[in-house]
Amino acid sequence: MKWAIVRFPGSNCDEDARFALEKAGIKAAYVWHTETSLKGFDGVFLPGGFSYGDYLRAGALAAKSPVMEEVRRFAREGRLVIGVCNGFQVLTEAGILPGALLANLNLHFTCKEVGVRVERTDLPFTRRYGKGQVLRLPIAHAEGRYYADPKTLEWLEGEGLVVFRYAPLGGEGDYNPNGSLRDIAGIVSEKGNVLGMMPHPERAVDEVLGSTDGLPLFLGLLEEVNA
Amino acid sequence: MPRYQATLLIELKDGILDPQGRAVEGVLRDLGHPVDSVRVGKVLEVVFPAETLLEAEEKAKAMGRLLTNPVMEVFTLEAIKELP
Repeated sequence: MKWAIVRFPGSNCDEDARFALEKAGIKAAYVWHTETSLKGFDGVFLPGGFSYGDYLRAGALAAKSPVMEEVRRFAREGRLVIGVCNGFQVLTEAGILPGALLANLNLHFTCKEVGVRVERTDLPFTRRYGKGQVLRLPIAHAEGRYYADPKTLEWLEGEGLVVFRYAPLGGEGDYNPNGSLRDIAGIVSEKGNVLGMMPHPERAVDEVLGSTDGLPLFLGLLEEVNA
Repeated sequence: MPRYQATLLIELKDGILDPQGRAVEGVLRDLGHPVDSVRVGKVLEVVFPAETLLEAEEKAKAMGRLLTNPVMEVFTLEAIKELP
């Protein structure tokens, strides 16, 4: 199994993504955003960072990159796509996932560990977790407030597409770090093959990083049999 | 070909909480300006070639649609003029 990690000008979690994938036993290679083919890859990872300096809107300009047509095809064909942080912003800006990521309510860039509850365990990304399990994952973003209109939110909830929700980590008070509607931290596409999330699982795959709760996500991908 | 300058205004949709606007609003009030509300948006000035004013308007609107995220934003073509 081999994954593509797309690099936009300003991506900065690309190496973390590679570290995490390889730690789980998945080969990975970088792909520049001007590429138009993802032939030979089984999955695509859109990493965190500040593509195009977050100018216009976070992820907006990257969403128009040539490679995104191919990512769209991947998504349509039911193959695996993950967008983390800026990658999630790119997926919503490209219309591959619904909704949008707005500025955090407190207007601060927020960098800390948060609790993230797993809502579904029947997906390639979550099969190694227990339902309701609360993960310890870092967030690092200024625009992570998930927003969708009420109709879309109801649809997401009804179809069970909310995969991760912010949750208290050891009895703290406020646990929604950015004002996301319904505490949404991550959603998945209708087919269950495209995951977008703000917390960084790839930064939580080794004891020295303070948490290994992100590693099962990557280990779960290995079990996915690709055509 | 004539050149036109279009001014596009991009704003958050009504009803979407604008924390940036709220912050500015608070400061204005603190400084003695009794404002009702403030919303913060973006202004884009685009210069481009077009044959006619009508064509320029259409191009400007197409660019507005491309650069706006319809989930959270609306755009207005504020002004368009032919450059000398």
